[in-house]
Amino acid sequence: MKLAFYPGCSLEGMANDYSQSITAVFRNLDIELVEIEDWSCCGATAAHSLSELMAVTLPARNLAQAEKMGMDIVSPCANCYNRLRASQIMIQKRIFDVPWKITGKIEVHDMTRFLADPDMLERIMTRVRKPLEGLKVVCYYGCQMVRPPRITGYTDYENPQTLDRIVAAVGAKALDWSYKTTCCGASIGIGRRDIQESLTARLLDKARQANAEAVVTSCPLCQANLDILQRNETESTIPVFYFTELLRLAFEPGRASRKWFRMHITDPVPLLRIKELLR
Amino acid sequence: MIAMAKIFDEADEILLLNQDTEDKAREIIGDRGNHFLKRIEGETAANISACYQCHRCTNACPVSHYMDVKPHQVIRYIQFGWREKLLKSSTIWVCLSCEMCTTFCPNEVQVAETIIHLRNMAAHSSVAPREKQVALFHQAFLESLQYFGRVNEFWLMVALHLKPIVLKEKIQTGTLTEEMALGFRLFRKGKLKLIPRRCKAMGEIRKLYRQERGEMD
Repeated sequence: MKLAFYPGCSLEGMANDYSQSITAVFRNLDIELVEIEDWSCCGATAAHSLSELMAVTLPARNLAQAEKMGMDIVSPCANCYNRLRASQIMIQKRIFDVPWKITGKIEVHDMTRFLADPDMLERIMTRVRKPLEGLKVVCYYGCQMVRPPRITGYTDYENPQTLDRIVAAVGAKALDWSYKTTCCGASIGIGRRDIQESLTARLLDKARQANAEAVVTSCPLCQANLDILQRNETESTIPVFYFTELLRLAFEPGRASRKWFRMHITDPVPLLRIKELLR
Repeated sequence: MIAMAKIFDEADEILLLNQDTEDKAREIIGDRGNHFLKRIEGETAANISACYQCHRCTNACPVSHYMDVKPHQVIRYIQFGWREKLLKSSTIWVCLSCEMCTTFCPNEVQVAETIIHLRNMAAHSSVAPREKQVALFHQAFLESLQYFGRVNEFWLMVALHLKPIVLKEKIQTGTLTEEMALGFRLFRKGKLKLIPRRCKAMGEIRKLYRQERGEMD
């Protein structure tokens, strides 16, 4: 199986650990990810905020590149996925013209939903060598991956299950909580830190109330926000994992993943030692 | 009719205290007819007239607390045609486009899309943005995208902090040192890449920027 991979800018910088763990996990799953040739930024919130034209045309270039390759796109970043989908829909409605040929014949997958497909879950389960038993986590989806449903195509947008299923497939316990899709503040922290910190702090409080030992997410910005907020805390910190890091931990116990955990601000190693998942 | 307008006028004064006298003359309902409403509806394809003020958008909004004009009021103001008030509000910059309002609206009024459209309008108008820092961040993002085709967090933050207004405020509030310390910590963790990766097809991206400015090739 071959897929066009659109990493997005975060995965080259802040979310380097995410990027490396994705590569490792997909190698374990025997799925070939081909990076879209010479991809460019999707414009994220900024293009969307300042000019609708840019918000549609910037992601379109990547859609065109992937169509040239003739493969479906899989995007690990929630915002990239949302922008790519939105752009594809707008172009199909012929509201904007782009200088590239886009037919809309390829599909844009969000990585979590791609892996939560029943066939994929089965494949994940066969690869598990050390189930993450006893690890209690809450899954945090964020906004852009699930909303608005007319773009993302989620039907269970109020209580999404994709990450929960993946995490359960590797043996961890996904707890139920009400803040799965509540916004973490995204990039507003750069202009208005007070807003972002109050939103993120509430998420962490609710995760603690749900008795979670860790938060699992799939969005680079959500991970950064949740992780960086705990930078000055010493006690009762909650590690924030990318779901691929947990998958890899279950697939290849005790190898390689250590160097990704070193990139986290909140050190997850003590927790994993207690759970005997890491030596 | 005039009595109605007065009620709205007063209610509005409570909401926004700093009003120009020039604006006041325009607040009377219907002074522009429904021109502004029709225009916004046409451009966003949002069904703004369908709003019956149930406040579900405001209740769902995670940041309504920080907004001066609440999401349901935004829709009402558009119906009234109060353009300047909307463009001047902090709402359009505070909105996170988390799409809660749009998702839970019973009448499928696309509230978030409308607010973002107003933000687009404000960015292309002479109205000074209420949340300057947020507006400048978006601007810095698109500027750095123009040079590299991709965004590098380190260079984006450098470009942002080189903007005089941002730098001045960060020094005044004393957050600059704190942010530099955080940046250094992220760098030591290996999260910041100092050398930006470039997209090779910069010609195509610059062409998009020219298209956006309305320049023909």
